[in-house]
Amino acid sequence: MTTFNLEIITPHGLFFQGETEGVVVRTTVGDKGILARHENYAAALGTGKIRVMQDGEYRTAALSSGIVKVDREKTLILAQSCEWGDEINIERAEKARKAAEDRLSDSALGANEHAIAEFKLKRALNRLETAGR
Amino acid sequence: MAKGNMKSIKRRIKVVGSTLQITKAMEMVASSKLRRAKAQTERMRPYFHALDKLLSGIATEKKDFATIFTTKRKTVKNRLFIVIAGDRGLAGGYNSNILKLVAAHKNNAPDTGTKIIAVGKTTVDYFKKNKYDISAEFPHFCDDIKASRCADIAQIAINQFRSGEVDEVWIFYTAFISALQQQTTAVQLLPFVVSETENSDESAQGFTSYDPSPEAVFDRIIPKMLMSMISCACVEAYASEQSARRNAMESASDNAEEMIESLSLQYNRLRQEKITNEINEIVGGANAIS
Repeated sequence: MTTFNLEIITPHGLFFQGETEGVVVRTTVGDKGILARHENYAAALGTGKIRVMQDGEYRTAALSSGIVKVDREKTLILAQSCEWGDEINIERAEKARKAAEDRLSDSALGANEHAIAEFKLKRALNRLETAGR
Repeated sequence: MAKGNMKSIKRRIKVVGSTLQITKAMEMVASSKLRRAKAQTERMRPYFHALDKLLSGIATEKKDFATIFTTKRKTVKNRLFIVIAGDRGLAGGYNSNILKLVAAHKNNAPDTGTKIIAVGKTTVDYFKKNKYDISAEFPHFCDDIKASRCADIAQIAINQFRSGEVDEVWIFYTAFISALQQQTTAVQLLPFVVSETENSDESAQGFTSYDPSPEAVFDRIIPKMLMSMISCACVEAYASEQSARRNAMESASDNAEEMIESLSLQYNRLRQEKITNEINEIVGGANAIS
């Protein structure tokens, strides 16, 4: 299969760089598959899974809020955070989920804090799902 | 006379010695913090560069739309300055240099109003004292940089920009170049300006399709990119602060050591003199008796 250069960068460093056969990202309007020689494309990414295909096999990672930009030389994904499914610390994700749920059940929460807690819950759930629990 | 002088010199040696202990301790604390901050900036840097490149790529591309975020406004009435400096002093010129830069920018355009988002305690104090128009203040921000708080700053900036309250948004911070070199920096965040070095004609060719629409993508991306820029700036500023403090404390310690050395020399000289005098007196007395 034809490959293309994919780069995933987060504030914690370069997460992934290499020749890939395909990548599936969760944009704000739905999943989008990108193959080699894709047209120039840009979209915002929500919290969700990202699947990277190499040697005919998909590897899944949990991604939270980012940008995807495709142009001729490479496909670039910038994300707030990104973790491979098999490297996710399930205990930590579970703890984050519980903490976020506890916070959400607190009725005295302001709108802004509520949004943050919701975002955290979403991220924790996404990580757990990606890890396969 | 000599006796009193000796006593005061001894006291000064002691005082300088205890100052030395403090500066040494601060130097050590700053260098350990610096090590951590430096690692963080190095991790963050590729993201920062990629983001900058991506945005200027988008901005230079041919497009059939204009957003308020990329359109330069005809008249600039008010500007919003996000200023990042430290919470504490004793960091050489770190805090005053960045504030000087802000003042210089303000004086460049005396007719435009200035609003301030102050990050760091020294900044808050300074702008309050000088009666600036402060939109928001975030003391004690940089020692624990949280994405959600950076998002708060970004949101304030976007709201003000969108409502027309301000026409430009700038960020002021100290870029961390190396442990010995830091550069005060002013960057315009909104509306976007394309960085000169990144005039990529290669990727500017062709047309990018935005999903679902350019406006929707921009609406999602802008807050995120502002947030990232702010957190990157904070991380850099924090590293700069620590290295500035370390350097300041290092030279303070050196000065203290030098001072102790010269005071000790002075003290020993006086002591020697005193002993010589005493011997002279005894010998003189003995001679007188015999």
